[in-house]
Amino acid sequence: MIFASSYEPLFHIGPVPVYDHIVAQWLVIILLGTVAYLATKNMQTIPRGLQNTFEAIVEGCFNFFGGALGNEHAAKKWAPLLVTFFLFILTNNYFGLIPGAGTIHGFVPSTADWNITATLATIVFFVVIIAGGKNFLAHLFTPHWLFLPLNLLEQVARPLSLTLRLFGNIFGHEMIVAFLVLMAPFLVPMPLVALGVLTGLIQALVFTILATSYMADVVGEGH
Amino acid sequence: MISKKWTALTVFLLSMLLILGLATSCYASEGGVPPFPDIYKIGWTTVNFFILFAILYKFGYAPVMNMLEQRTNTIESSLQHAEELRAEVEQMRKEAQTNLAESRKEAQEIVARATKMAEETKNEILAKAQAEARAEKEKALAEIKAEKEQAVAELRDTAATLAIMAAEKVLGRALKDEDHQGMVKDFVKEAGDLLC
Repeated sequence: MIFASSYEPLFHIGPVPVYDHIVAQWLVIILLGTVAYLATKNMQTIPRGLQNTFEAIVEGCFNFFGGALGNEHAAKKWAPLLVTFFLFILTNNYFGLIPGAGTIHGFVPSTADWNITATLATIVFFVVIIAGGKNFLAHLFTPHWLFLPLNLLEQVARPLSLTLRLFGNIFGHEMIVAFLVLMAPFLVPMPLVALGVLTGLIQALVFTILATSYMADVVGEGH
Repeated sequence: MISKKWTALTVFLLSMLLILGLATSCYASEGGVPPFPDIYKIGWTTVNFFILFAILYKFGYAPVMNMLEQRTNTIESSLQHAEELRAEVEQMRKEAQTNLAESRKEAQEIVARATKMAEETKNEILAKAQAEARAEKEKALAEIKAEKEQAVAELRDTAATLAIMAAEKVLGRALKDEDHQGMVKDFVKEAGDLLC
């Protein structure tokens, strides 16, 4: 819940302030890293248990986002990054649903801060430029060089829309839940928390699919 | 009826207004939207994201991708092996059929050869037996003939002796050896001619 968390730094590492959202990201890294490590520690040809689940998730995501790229070479190269976007955003979104989120420091959905969503959108922006290379430049002049201003506007609008969509949804959801908890802390916020499960997944998916489609535009056979 | 509807709508709108008002007051009291841009948050997030990417790549994607590739290779090699085995079995089946046909043909030849050989052996044995039988018969006939000749000779001698004795008795005297011999010979000749 966003109201209980402060925008003041939690602590400092030297001169660098560390916020709740950053601690939440560290927890996400530890969680995903541990799961990945445990799942792949003792790989078997016939998968079982955690390995099976993890393989299914990774392979499913690779096929989904890699398939959306429409270019096998690019899919192999960029799908890991896209899957990381998805898992990072999804886990961060779900951090707000854990009981105690907002009251315990570090338990906040870091995607409810637009500094973070803007960072992710900026990474997508640069990754698209790197992935596209010459194609990206060519894309700016399609279908005609007269469209350059429009294409530039589109390129600027993309990170902006990615930032605001993710931030707005998660922040808005957090605000509504927090407000309902203030008004009626028992049972009433439950439907919205349940809706949060869906919102978290959809927003992570939307962000990654859009990033994939931006990339698909410039890596060859776009959509 | 209509007034009830309007009353409900008014209550609903007022409730919404109250909720929004409360939300706004809470929102304002807690500091509102997070300040932007916060260079530290941006920096931390960039670092954290790429650390997560590196960790997931190292412990997640790479092992899974390798395992999938290994599994694909295993399946492909298994299929290839199965195909090879199938071809081998087919080849073996063909060979077995050829061998069976050859064996059958050979067995037939052996039986035919054995039958022919048995027939030849039979004929040989038969011929040998017939030859032996013929030889035995001839031998027996020769022996019979020899025995007969011997018997005839003995008979002649006996007859001669008897004749001499009879003649001596008739003549009452002994004949000289020369007479004796001449008579005997004549007698024997006559007797032999009579007997034969």
